[in-house]
Amino acid sequence: MMPINRRMPAAMALLFLSFLSTAMAGSAVDVEAPWIREAPPASTVLAAYMVLKNTTDKGRTITGIDSPDFRDGQIHRTVVEDGVAKMLPVEQLIVPAGGSVVLEPGGLHVMLFDPKRPLRDGDSVILLIHDSDGDSVTVHAPVVRMTGGHDHSHHH
Amino acid sequence: MSKSPKSAFILKGVIIIILATAAGILSARFFLQRTVVQDELEATRFPVAREIQAFELVDHHNQVFDNAALEKHWSFLFFGYTYCPDVCPTTLSVLNSIAQRLQDTGADIRFVMVTVDPERDTPERLAEFVTYFNGDFLGVTGTDQGLGQLTRQLGILYERVQPEPGSEAYLMDHTAAVFLFDPDGRYHAVFSPPLSVEAIAGDFRKMLQDYQ
Repeated sequence: MMPINRRMPAAMALLFLSFLSTAMAGSAVDVEAPWIREAPPASTVLAAYMVLKNTTDKGRTITGIDSPDFRDGQIHRTVVEDGVAKMLPVEQLIVPAGGSVVLEPGGLHVMLFDPKRPLRDGDSVILLIHDSDGDSVTVHAPVVRMTGGHDHSHHH
Repeated sequence: MSKSPKSAFILKGVIIIILATAAGILSARFFLQRTVVQDELEATRFPVAREIQAFELVDHHNQVFDNAALEKHWSFLFFGYTYCPDVCPTTLSVLNSIAQRLQDTGADIRFVMVTVDPERDTPERLAEFVTYFNGDFLGVTGTDQGLGQLTRQLGILYERVQPEPGSEAYLMDHTAAVFLFDPDGRYHAVFSPPLSVEAIAGDFRKMLQDYQ
């Protein structure tokens, strides 16, 4: 009975990459399990998901997430109000001290506009996570096919 | 005895109770016929499936998609658009999981995404988008008028959101629910978000059983 948006897709497959990403994180935030949803070939908008963790004792503010592989990136939050799904732009994400923020399908996500190259399952994309101190964290996010069918994502 | 004030009082009371009960039953029936009941399902199912007035759209094979296209099989309809990066791919993934799960029922079940963005979503574009998730999924588009004919009956809302400066791509707000039509082509039930594969597949099995 668990809603789909509470699943951690492809969690096992991404474990290695998440360690890698964590290791690459600077002083800002740790980025775990980043991934980009593969889209149909003609799509010009894709979504990226991840977990932002703050292991420090000071709150962090993420001001933007983008990618050199896309023209633009914007943080959005999907909300359902009176049965209507809306995407609201998010100006900044506060990652509290010792806490985390989850970007996942149906909730917070990075909307990535206009890929500069075709992106298919298994490709790797660089994401830049910018904070209010002017620091950036660079992570490699895999493109993952997730169609609910016989793709390689894990369903629980 | 029956003429004592006490008996008359009791009799009056009984009559009032009977009348109140009758009124309650009648008003409940009146109410239930016009609205929906929550039964054992997570879905909202109509006690009597609703007739759908005439509408005409076009599917991604450029074939007419009208009332007849909803008959002789079950149909799950979702209303979205292809420039949608999060909600629509997530919903189509959920619908594909449901399709796999319900294969063992042997029922003829169709899955359809009707675009709320006919200006950009041509049949060709829809074909590519929906079949990416499942080769049997059907994309439907049409005129604003045709779309309105169907969506108004289902209480579906959709609205274009003006893009932020510097961005040419607009987004759409749209009803996120999934609508179920029975083989009579009638509006049978609606599933509201958050959409759960297990709940929808389980509900469908019960409704299939009740229908047969």
